[in-house]
Amino acid sequence: MRTNSKQLLSKSLKALTLTLALGTVNSAVAGLNIFACEPEYAALAKELAPDAKIYSATTAMQDPHQVQARPSLIAKMRQADLAICAGADLEVGWLPMLQMKSANAKVRSTDQGLFFAAEQIDTLDQLTSVDRSMGDVHAKGNPHLHFDPNRLLDVATALTGKLVQLDPDNKAQYQSSLASFSERWQAAIPKWEAKAKPLEGSKVIAYHSSFKYLFNWLGLEQVADLEPKPGIPPSSSHLASLLNRAKQGDILAIVIASYQSERGADWLAERSDLPVLVLPMSVGGNEQSVDLFTLYDSAIALLLSAKQ
Amino acid sequence: MTISTMRLSGVAAACALLSTQALASDPSLTNPAISAVLDGYYQSGERPMSERVEGFGLGHTELAMSANIDDMFYGKLTAVVEMHDGETELGLEEAFIQTLAMPGGFSVRAGRFLSDIGYLNNQHVHTDSFSDRPAAYRAFLGSHYFDDGVRLSYVAPTDLYWTMGVEAFKGDNMRAADEHGERDFKNLGVYTAFTKLGGDVGANGSWQAGLSYLRNENGRLTADEHDHEEPAVDDGHDHSHSAQYTGENTYVADFVYKWAPSGNYKYQHLTLSGEYFRVTDFKPLEEHDDHDDDDGHGDEGKDYQEGWYLSSVYQFSPHWSAGIRYGQVDTQMMHDDHFDPQKLKETEVSLAWHHSHFSTVRLQYTNQQGTNFDGFEDDNIITLQYVMTLGAHGAHQF
Repeated sequence: MRTNSKQLLSKSLKALTLTLALGTVNSAVAGLNIFACEPEYAALAKELAPDAKIYSATTAMQDPHQVQARPSLIAKMRQADLAICAGADLEVGWLPMLQMKSANAKVRSTDQGLFFAAEQIDTLDQLTSVDRSMGDVHAKGNPHLHFDPNRLLDVATALTGKLVQLDPDNKAQYQSSLASFSERWQAAIPKWEAKAKPLEGSKVIAYHSSFKYLFNWLGLEQVADLEPKPGIPPSSSHLASLLNRAKQGDILAIVIASYQSERGADWLAERSDLPVLVLPMSVGGNEQSVDLFTLYDSAIALLLSAKQ
Repeated sequence: MTISTMRLSGVAAACALLSTQALASDPSLTNPAISAVLDGYYQSGERPMSERVEGFGLGHTELAMSANIDDMFYGKLTAVVEMHDGETELGLEEAFIQTLAMPGGFSVRAGRFLSDIGYLNNQHVHTDSFSDRPAAYRAFLGSHYFDDGVRLSYVAPTDLYWTMGVEAFKGDNMRAADEHGERDFKNLGVYTAFTKLGGDVGANGSWQAGLSYLRNENGRLTADEHDHEEPAVDDGHDHSHSAQYTGENTYVADFVYKWAPSGNYKYQHLTLSGEYFRVTDFKPLEEHDDHDDDDGHGDEGKDYQEGWYLSSVYQFSPHWSAGIRYGQVDTQMMHDDHFDPQKLKETEVSLAWHHSHFSTVRLQYTNQQGTNFDGFEDDNIITLQYVMTLGAHGAHQF
């Protein structure tokens, strides 16, 4: 059995090399086939590997916690050379099922073509112990890290390493893409920070911890969640308690993400006279957000609009 | 209690190590995915061929453990505790290994596992939207067909999802009734072949359709000269997971369509599904030839049994979902030298409350209309049931 599996493994490695070799022939045109779990990572891949064929499993209108391992995703993952996901258990309900059903050895382990953004950085809100009575929390920390520009840059650097590992022939190209992205990104960060200066110290009520990294970066404070517990939708008794909190008069706005229901937010907004801001959760979350840069532009502009 | 402690320490260990390899849930030696399912109910009556009895009862109480064994194999073990007639029985529903790194989209699964025929069969019963499987599943597959065997599957590298596979099983639970133990059954009893296609329709919808064939070497009934011979169906309390009506050839066609606004399943989604079963070549060989000559009257001579269902489940808020299902089976019961047609129609409505992703309380109403079906004529059944999972996060299977 042992020898058999070794033989099989070496055979599969040979097949893999062959596929990779065949892949390289076409690479001038097609490049790597990339499966992104969320649109922010599809956008990042587009910056770093512009020639790759990139597919995003979810849109900014879909809650990535609640995705189903549907046939089209299995078919896309079957063809992927690289899968880029947030990690920290965000995709725990569907990614393992996709990996199992797509039978694609390439994207099975992070040693090969699987990449978790959350593993490249320190996540916020890591918990030493979790219990489901706390709601649907992630022990490995908050996975919505793409709204921290510095962490995202670290992820971009690590992702470039992964691209080079999988497609060493195009190393120079990947490195120049990273250099270009990094330069533009680092130039944008102080501009965003300057623009968002008036927001510092503002208090908001938000649906979930979706924008934890954005608030953390810009110095906003999320004083309450519309969800009574993570993953549990707003209840009337909880909203009533939020109304009391809102009446203290120090809240800037109620913030929800593009895939979250407006119902609870609208109820609270009507009674507390607070604005509801629907921020794009990712690229494609509103008309303005067409790439990572405009995503940040739009989120900050929306927050500022409540200030006026 | 031990289980939850194990789970917690597993999670804690995972936190401490923050292991950087393996799958999304990265189950490893120190952190296998361990989960338990608790299922309890009260019901006012009994559905034929069902595992649930009247009154209070426990459904499948499952304990599952899974992890990557190494970089080549994945393993899963699901133990099921069932209670009936005051006895506690421990059963193994799954104990399989699956390859993880075969090239070309192939994979092999071996051991005890759920067959991949049809739409519902490869899903665990506790993920269903109704308390019992449709009558067709109960009649022809013993609710859900799992067995000891091996599967080879292939997924095509196409944008349209296309998978196909073949399986071979021992087939003990699919044997035709043999009350006298005289029959020489084949050890390799069941072979299946299946294919499924699927994809998306715009941003809101997804679909899957499949065709399956099951060959059952031991599915044909044998002639019996004894009076009033009845296949196993008369035993309403049979918990052996055996199929009640078998035949040599079974054909299954299935489809499912799911819809969610913008593809966002969190708040609302709709699931439409349906399956059709046709079971042929069930009559004893000798019998079969005579039958058409002797017997003139209409329906009685039918040489196939069939069943189907249509189900629609709508989750209209994160907390609530409602479902409606209609299903029927047309079966044939052997009496001496002839077959009597039987029919069972079930109309079901269910309402479920989901406090979280992990807990469901369901109220279900079933109206069943039976014709010559084991004494079931016009019954109404109310079931109140809870299904809760603890431990590792289950999969959102399509």
